[in-house]
Amino acid sequence: MSGTLTNQIRLLRFMRNEMSQAELGQQVGLTRQTIAAIEAGKYAPSLETAFRIAGVFELPLEQVFQWQPVTADGR
Amino acid sequence: MSYRERVAWLSLLTMLLTFGPYFTLVAIEFFPDAKLPDFFQLFCYGVTAVSQACLLGLGHLWLRRRFAQEAKAPLDELDLQIKQRALSIAYYVLMTGMIMVGVVMPFTEQGWKIVNSALFMIIVAEVVQQSMVVLGYRRVAS
Repeated sequence: MSGTLTNQIRLLRFMRNEMSQAELGQQVGLTRQTIAAIEAGKYAPSLETAFRIAGVFELPLEQVFQWQPVTADGR
Repeated sequence: MSYRERVAWLSLLTMLLTFGPYFTLVAIEFFPDAKLPDFFQLFCYGVTAVSQACLLGLGHLWLRRRFAQEAKAPLDELDLQIKQRALSIAYYVLMTGMIMVGVVMPFTEQGWKIVNSALFMIIVAEVVQQSMVVLGYRRVAS
């Protein structure tokens, strides 16, 4: 089943006193560029990293990452 | 641009600056005597390889000083994924090249032609690997 992975990282960073990408990356063991790629939806992180990111924001995984399946008619 | 991408660019540039002229000389048959051992050609190759190592070393030192924080950071999962993909593609390029040079060429060629072809295929595989690293980072860059 195809679909797209979206996330709320940018919004959540903003809500956390405008936490920088570098700060978030440091907390989860990623570079700033990798956080930027995840935010932009250009890279899907591993499950472990996704849990770590959600852990930083103290939220369940599904509130940080969302899977939006593409239906047969392309919607 | 990430530190790893800069390192890949550095490798590509040093190869272009050093092995580019060397293989251009080989292509225009600057070295007339292709029989082994041709110490002049061996010397030229030595100069090329040492120049590349020096340029690469100096470039690494400069990058490490200029981007000290990023240089210290270990590879993350994206870096590893890009590196693994680049290596696997370069491996097939190298294998194909070595089959051509080591299995096919000895039937028709000899001496420095085989040596230079082997060196050329190693450089081609390295260029492919570093290019794939650059492309990997470009693809995810926002």
